[in-house]
Amino acid sequence: MDTTFKPVTAQIAAEIARIVGEKYVISGEAEGLAAFSRDEVAEEQYAHMPEAVVRPGTAGEISAIMKLANREHIPVTPRGAGSGLSGGAVPLHGGIVLLCDRMNRILEIDRDNLMAVVEPGVVTNQINEALKPDGLFYAGYPMSLETCYIGGNVAENAGGGKAVKYGVTGRYVTGLEFVTPTGDIVNLGGKLVKDVTGYNLIQLLVGSEGTLGIFTRITLKLLPLPKASVDLLCLFKTAQEAISAVPSIMTKGGVIPTAIEFMDRTSVKASCDYLNESLPYQDAGAMLLITVDGGDDEQVRREYEAVGEQCLGCGATEVYVADNHTTSERIWKVRRNIAEAFKLVSPHQSLEDIVVPIAAIPLMVAAVDKIAKQYDVNIPCYGHAGDGNLHATPVMNPAWNLATWQGTLPKILHELYLATAQLGGTLSGEHGIGHKRKEYVSIFLSQPALDLMRAIKRAWDPNNVLNPGKVF
Amino acid sequence: MRIIVPIKQVPETGAVRMDEATGTMVREGVEAIVNPLDLYAIELALRLRDSSRSADGEGNHEVLALSMGPPKAQTALREALAMGCDRGVLLSDPAFAGSDTWATSNVLASAIRKLGEFALVICGERATDGDTGQVGPGIASFLDLPLVTYVSRVRSFGPDEMVVERLVEEGHEVLAMSLPGVLTVVKEACDPRLPTLRGKQRARQAELVRWGHQELGLAREKVGLAGSPTRVVRLHRPSVARQCRRLIAADEESAALAVRELVDILRQKNLL
Repeated sequence: MDTTFKPVTAQIAAEIARIVGEKYVISGEAEGLAAFSRDEVAEEQYAHMPEAVVRPGTAGEISAIMKLANREHIPVTPRGAGSGLSGGAVPLHGGIVLLCDRMNRILEIDRDNLMAVVEPGVVTNQINEALKPDGLFYAGYPMSLETCYIGGNVAENAGGGKAVKYGVTGRYVTGLEFVTPTGDIVNLGGKLVKDVTGYNLIQLLVGSEGTLGIFTRITLKLLPLPKASVDLLCLFKTAQEAISAVPSIMTKGGVIPTAIEFMDRTSVKASCDYLNESLPYQDAGAMLLITVDGGDDEQVRREYEAVGEQCLGCGATEVYVADNHTTSERIWKVRRNIAEAFKLVSPHQSLEDIVVPIAAIPLMVAAVDKIAKQYDVNIPCYGHAGDGNLHATPVMNPAWNLATWQGTLPKILHELYLATAQLGGTLSGEHGIGHKRKEYVSIFLSQPALDLMRAIKRAWDPNNVLNPGKVF
Repeated sequence: MRIIVPIKQVPETGAVRMDEATGTMVREGVEAIVNPLDLYAIELALRLRDSSRSADGEGNHEVLALSMGPPKAQTALREALAMGCDRGVLLSDPAFAGSDTWATSNVLASAIRKLGEFALVICGERATDGDTGQVGPGIASFLDLPLVTYVSRVRSFGPDEMVVERLVEEGHEVLAMSLPGVLTVVKEACDPRLPTLRGKQRARQAELVRWGHQELGLAREKVGLAGSPTRVVRLHRPSVARQCRRLIAADEESAALAVRELVDILRQKNLL
């Protein structure tokens, strides 16, 4: 596909300013633009400067910008909160970064239909804050929920902590208004629980990483807010024991928990040090953080006892119970801050997002261990064990120089992905491909599958102006 | 050897809202938890019990949690049991409603007296709802016992005296106190453990002793609102007047100027 683009000249910048208003355009000075050259992927090599940042307020303005981009052949990269972990919002070929932060209204909470209509720039957690008084909730729960935008969640099909029971973002998107790469405003679906009218373009757009359209209105399915929720923190002697307990919790325990998070000792220690928290990690090789929620206290108690007994039966050395918000927050905070804590341990690391079938998790953890030993690096492992999604994170050996690390990391990743593929797994469960993992896609997707995806991209975006250079 | 920990059930701090009209806390529909600062008292008590146990075998060492409150305060006591306390006593009586810190200290002290011999009473520094920090010292004065507040570390414990560190603004005081006595502890003392599954199961089955004013031998007019010498006359929200000034130091020259100006400001305010 064509990836030669024209620059954003002063004249084009002026035209953009006429569309959205002068104060909603940042261009020219590098200082203001630099913040939009990267997302949460730390490494410099994945960053790229935009030429202009534009903050439209309506679908009409976005449409006008896309038409201009097609006419002038300028790339446009949509951006939410910039909390992505695969470089999806990085303007790889410069051009325009299209920020959706101004489109941040919760347009409607429809109690009769259990639906909410929101704009893409709403912070995910705000949706639940707004729904709480009505006893409703939106089940998406990315770890970054306090900062990320719902638009980004839909673009990446974000998963997160509650996916074991509630699934990922896509399950809750029933309607989309979006601007196509060529500038048409299109409406799909609505407040509908069932809809097979035509191709399911909504689910094609969910997880399309900003390459097929820019969302302007999102209809989300809501659920009644669970009245009770309890967290268990289960300590195991080894990572293998902990991870082996996961399948049996669900199959033998007869309970599908809301979340089953896995953290090895390195991860727990890093986060506890960062938070000045004192969980008893010293004697535990790994921990499972398990959430059970439901309609009333008694039901949840029965279920958490069943899950807890199952863990003790699988060799857990201790099971802690957090049944109030303060204590729950104390342990979830440890889980949520692992990624942040590792950045302080070493800035040179690669947060991965592999997924394997749940029964293969113990084998995957063993494979990660083997690779870590083979290359003499630490690969701490944590993540959503209940759905097979592991954030294995190779961290640079402190004795190495940067060149050695940069030379070795691709080999480590290649081995990691081959092992993942062998177990029937895949490259990314919730962070997306972006350009960070692009070169590894062919390990997991066949040529015909890639050809189909490219054909779709060409049909939707003939001039290749919307987020070019991503996914494949 | 017995250690008694008086605890309080408080509204979950993150969920607290104030009724703007009445200036009181909205408690309806808000999750109730053990006062977070009492968890440090529980933890310290459990550690002292466990180290005494291992020092002289399986002697008769116990931690007893005590709480005055409505019947639902038993949840707080059960949480204390789940953390490892051996017994719980609930002081619940409609007559106790409206107690101020004096009346509360009186009820708690009466219960402690009724329980018989003990080595130590450990209280949290204060409750996160009332925020007075008076009940710990109140218990000590009703029982006429020595008291050390703001304890951040126990250096030695028992049998007849204990040595503790007390956190004060300038550093630490090291104090020896004869036993029995009363402590209030600060966060620095220890990190509270989490309740365990086995602990929860045990706590759910446990029988709690429940006493009212009659069991404690207290006259009705000595408890609750009737027995409270203090009254809340008015609640108001203080206005916060913060003055923010920014001294920009972009280079060496302006940094020198900014430092000089900062020193001047601090001098004017008598802070240097």
